[in-house]
Amino acid sequence: MEVALAEVRRLRAARLPRVAESALDGDGPGLDETGAFPVVPALRELLPRDGLVRGSVVAVPDSGLLCLAVVAAASSDGAWCAIAGIAEAGLMAGAGLGLDLDRTLLVPDMGTNWPQVVASLLDGCELVLVRPPSRTPVQVRRRLEATLRRARGVLVVAGDWPGAQVRLRVAARGWTGLGDGCGRLRACCAEVVADGRGEAALAKARWLWLPAEDGTIAVADPADIPFGLPGEEPDTGHGGLRVVSGG
Amino acid sequence: MTEPMTGRLAGRMTGRMSERVTGPGTSRVMVLCCPELSAADDGGKREAARVFERVIQMVTEFCPAVEIVEPGVCAFAARGPARYFGGEEVVAGKITAVVTALGVECRIGVADGMFAAGLAAREDAITVVPPGGTVEFLGRRPVSVLTDPELTRLLTRLGIRTLADLAALPVKDVASRFGATGTAAHRLASGFDPRPVAATPPAEDLSVAQEFDPPEDSAEPLVFAAKALAEQMLTGLAAKGLTCVRVQVCARWQDGSEHSRLWRHDGLLTAVQVADRVRWQLDGWGAGRDAPHQAGPGTQRETGGVVLLRLVPDQVVRATGQQLALWGEAAVTDRVARAAMRVQALLGHDAVLRPSLSGGRNASEQVTHTPFWDKREPEYPRDRPWPGQIPGAAPACVFPEPRQALVTDDAGQTVTVSGRCVVSGIPAMLTVTADSPREITGWAGPWPLNERWWDPERASRRARFQLVTSDGRAWLAAVRDGRWQIEAGYW
Repeated sequence: MEVALAEVRRLRAARLPRVAESALDGDGPGLDETGAFPVVPALRELLPRDGLVRGSVVAVPDSGLLCLAVVAAASSDGAWCAIAGIAEAGLMAGAGLGLDLDRTLLVPDMGTNWPQVVASLLDGCELVLVRPPSRTPVQVRRRLEATLRRARGVLVVAGDWPGAQVRLRVAARGWTGLGDGCGRLRACCAEVVADGRGEAALAKARWLWLPAEDGTIAVADPADIPFGLPGEEPDTGHGGLRVVSGG
Repeated sequence: MTEPMTGRLAGRMTGRMSERVTGPGTSRVMVLCCPELSAADDGGKREAARVFERVIQMVTEFCPAVEIVEPGVCAFAARGPARYFGGEEVVAGKITAVVTALGVECRIGVADGMFAAGLAAREDAITVVPPGGTVEFLGRRPVSVLTDPELTRLLTRLGIRTLADLAALPVKDVASRFGATGTAAHRLASGFDPRPVAATPPAEDLSVAQEFDPPEDSAEPLVFAAKALAEQMLTGLAAKGLTCVRVQVCARWQDGSEHSRLWRHDGLLTAVQVADRVRWQLDGWGAGRDAPHQAGPGTQRETGGVVLLRLVPDQVVRATGQQLALWGEAAVTDRVARAAMRVQALLGHDAVLRPSLSGGRNASEQVTHTPFWDKREPEYPRDRPWPGQIPGAAPACVFPEPRQALVTDDAGQTVTVSGRCVVSGIPAMLTVTADSPREITGWAGPWPLNERWWDPERASRRARFQLVTSDGRAWLAAVRDGRWQIEAGYW
């Protein structure tokens, strides 16, 4: 027992300098005092420590604008972002959110050895947005999580990832601006629910414009939430509910 | 088989030779061209590489310093062999006989300078342009032999039809009107080779090498290493403001045998281009994993794996072009470059892309994907108005290939759009490929788009709609040739 403890202590001591080192050379862009990457203001309240904690996994079950929104602010802040396995990622929309395409790598098709590809990308990019092509076995998940902790990046999974620190999903959404044969899509109001483990265990929900009319993300004023959204009805206590429509 | 040479020595020897080869007008160059091999398609490339390797072995019997211009074409200084064998025609005849005995068709051209000799090699089995007759020989050629279609078209429109016409123009005027490409073309037309050679070879060793322990016997890791080496070599050269016109690829096998070949690329070599040549060369040597199954003199013996790969820059010239963007281009950090290369080694060069915003009317056109390391240029210019773009927020899902769909009205009939943009019924249900039908709660359209009607291959005529379904999702749909498809999704 004594020997084992001593061994553990020795290993820890041996590992510490390396961790410190990697923190030093990895602490270029986007690292604030809490060791988290920034996110757009509208998402800040939903995430623990107001950002993307280094070494953590964020699961976003339906790939789309929300995935891109999660990584956008960190990317515009100087981090490199890799998007793997999502061939249809709409980068024009991503750029509208703040994703810097000069610092974006795309791997549309990861092939069969996708965990290897993700591990390689984690070594190079601070943010990796990935949609696993198949169900992820536990061992693969463990291995990637270990790589993630070592690289001190953030893995955003467009899909299911048991054990993710944070899970963001869209519970309800509705588009405005489109009528019956007239108008055009203007903005989408969506209820985003965040839950997860540890600090994020308490589920939080926010109504967001995803996207707002100018292509960015903003917190929706309860008064502006369009009426009759599927799922949860907005608080009808507000008499002044109005549909933000146009066209 | 020639005596194996070390990289440095070979570099120096060929360096001296190349000065003579590309010097203005006076040196005699012999070009051998195997039309079948250079025209080999992707499937036949390996086989062509192996055959050409045997051709090169035959040619080295006559002249040890052979330069490979491109797959299927090689060149060497003609003076030495001609003096030894008693005439250029005699040498050419002997080489033709040997190569034909291999079952390969070959053509040989001899002239002053590489360009003229290359053209002569396209003419006939053996074409010898007499010394001093090169300018006249070139003068008769049409300007289309300059491999620059844009310049050629322009010259033809200006009434400059032959190289003689071009050479007759003052070089000053050509330079001011056509820039660097024009000057290069003028040099060629006047019988000079395209690029002045640096007068002195670099004093220091600019070659790069990597050892493999344990020896590597499959081609992929070698090609991968070659790319990294090429990158390193070019960075080293660039730091001195130099670039190379040729590169010598040299590999040593476990049994001590060594192979080296010179590769020419008249533009500037990029790392990927160098790696491609290494792959070609390794295919030729049978270093691939399936080597034991291949026949051929190079693969009969047991050579083991490759222990050393060396790239030697040859014919180093001052770098004149390729100015990087002053701003706007994010510098790729080493860490990212390493990661991208590792993924490229796994999946291929085209698997890692860098996006850039582009113009165009469709969501799929508005982002151009360029393989990592390649020059990023938007496919469609961004500064044009592009009427017909869908206004509003961009879709977050842009399907690379549109998904098949079906939109029906209340009666269950497919909604159609007439030539005058009249919708046959109100869209009520959307079915996307295998998904279950969704109820349509809002729609707008049709917005007609008739693109590039003048180009039958790229023309497209569609009527586009925006749809919102009861699950809260919004879709960008289009009717094309009477069929519905989903181009993008907003969610």
